[in-house]
Amino acid sequence: MKNKLVELACIIDDDDIYINLIKRIIETRKLCENLIVFKNGKQSLDYFESLLQDTDEDKIPDIILIDLNMPIMDGWEFIEQFTKIKNRFNKSITLYIVSSSINPIDIDRAKSLNTIKDYLVKPIVMNQLESIFNESA
Amino acid sequence: MLCLHYKRINIHLSNTMVQVSVPPNLIDSNIGYLELKNNDIHCSKAFLSHIGKPTKNKKISLDFFIKNLVHKDDSNQFRNNYYSYIKNNLPFRQSMLILCKEGKYKEFVCTTNQNNVNLNTSKTKFLFFNIRKFKTNKRVKKHKFYYKEVAEMTSTGSWYVDFIKRKSYWDQQTRRILEYPEDYKPSLRRASSYYPKKDYELAKKLFYKCATNGESFNTEIKMLTKNNREFWVRAKGKPVFNDHKEIIGIRGIFQDIDETKARELSLQRTSDIIASQNKRLYNFAYIVSHNLRSHTSNLSLVMELINTTKSKEEKLELISSIEDIASSLNDTIEHLNEVVTIQTSTNKNKSPVKFSESLQHIKMSIGQIIAKSKTAIVSDFSIVDTIDYIPAYLESILLNLITNAIKYKHPERDPVINIVSYIENDKTVLEITDNGIGIDLEKFGGKLFGMYNTFHYNKDAVGIGLFITKNQIEALNGQINVFSEVEKFTTFKITF
Repeated sequence: MKNKLVELACIIDDDDIYINLIKRIIETRKLCENLIVFKNGKQSLDYFESLLQDTDEDKIPDIILIDLNMPIMDGWEFIEQFTKIKNRFNKSITLYIVSSSINPIDIDRAKSLNTIKDYLVKPIVMNQLESIFNESA
Repeated sequence: MLCLHYKRINIHLSNTMVQVSVPPNLIDSNIGYLELKNNDIHCSKAFLSHIGKPTKNKKISLDFFIKNLVHKDDSNQFRNNYYSYIKNNLPFRQSMLILCKEGKYKEFVCTTNQNNVNLNTSKTKFLFFNIRKFKTNKRVKKHKFYYKEVAEMTSTGSWYVDFIKRKSYWDQQTRRILEYPEDYKPSLRRASSYYPKKDYELAKKLFYKCATNGESFNTEIKMLTKNNREFWVRAKGKPVFNDHKEIIGIRGIFQDIDETKARELSLQRTSDIIASQNKRLYNFAYIVSHNLRSHTSNLSLVMELINTTKSKEEKLELISSIEDIASSLNDTIEHLNEVVTIQTSTNKNKSPVKFSESLQHIKMSIGQIIAKSKTAIVSDFSIVDTIDYIPAYLESILLNLITNAIKYKHPERDPVINIVSYIENDKTVLEITDNGIGIDLEKFGGKLFGMYNTFHYNKDAVGIGLFITKNQIEALNGQINVFSEVEKFTTFKITF
């Protein structure tokens, strides 16, 4: 039995089908209390920037799963912008890339960045998802 | 072998003789050297044994060396080479006659570099002299005929610009290459007419540097003949010095390399095309792998969920989501198919197409969209109307760019699309300009033509149109460029 749940998780991805499936897994496995979803980097960055003004800790996610290929603002740009502001939150936020890209250039780039905890290749396996949520709980 | 050694010393400071020690392992005992100080040359024993003793104290002046010991036919060349060597560290190799014992000239090869031994420092410079083992054939040496022959067969003309007399000289070969009559007198004042505008700037720069700093040049440049024909030339030039180390002119050659250059350029073009095709293929492989993966990974996620769910209802719901995945997989495959078709059908069905007719077809097929969005399309094909192209591609390109312009119209004004064709560098160009919302090229420029990249909050955006357009254009060796200012306009420029 898990002793503690992740309070708030955040998913940034433009693939509706993927989001529905992930939501379903998270709900059925009860991996976190709440979930917020953004369709691209820009939307989520706007959200995080607004949190800088309003320091309501409940609104700060413990864990972010972000895709790389997205319209308007892709994963890389979000990570770059997010890295600049992440230390201003009173909470440690764990960031994972979840992408279907198996391009070694992407993987190496992710490894070189401190902000990123790990690079997960889609399809993400349920147990994998479970273990990263447990780690962050 | 003899060695002429030059030591650079501040002229005003010292008049005392400096003994120079030459590393014995580098130069064998038989080799002498000449030490040059305050324009005086100090000869070594070995050198003196060859040339005899012009003075008592092993000391001769550079002037004396050049004027009396070096044969007059070689002295100017030697002086220029020598000063270029000292001033600009320009190595040289020159065959020359030096007056030796009993008033006989012997032929030496003077080099700045012997068996890759480099004794030169910023202060000390060496010149090596080797006796020529095989004497230059007298007929070649004496007869200008051979030089003429060489000049003609290699299309090489020589020239001289005299700064003192303020005159330019061309030989007949230069006149022939540049298509000027035999009695034509060149002049620096008319130099701008010898080059196309852009190349004239380059030529001016090279001449200026040579005249002021004594820097030699060796470059490929375009020139203009009297008949205004552009052609490629290899131009070499080097400074000419007087006895006081002053630059008094520039001597050089022009070699007609138009044919070779044309071949080189065409090879370069072929190589560029191959490189771009290769890049597209690589890109395509990446796209295929990436785009198909996102669907298959969704599929396996569904299967995993189905397997772990016990509820029947939920299972049925999950199965229905397979339908969604299948349909998007289908879309992707269709897009990929479209791209493959472009790559494979480039060779066939090129025929003369009229811009005006293609545009007319499109106006008819999307008449409703145009009318509904109140779009005005203004076109001017008066300069070029017909090109040799695949008709379906031209329509597809126009359709994509026009619908794009309408899709991203400015909310505060009706769309106006300007389409114009013209000729640039012998190629047909088509420009399509809209007054829409524009795009931040600094941010998105690199991805604009990528697959599935969209940059606006627009629900119609699929991110395939410009990708297909670019592929169609490039498959037929064309180019597409974009210029834009946010909130103002976007121009797509297609070079066919």
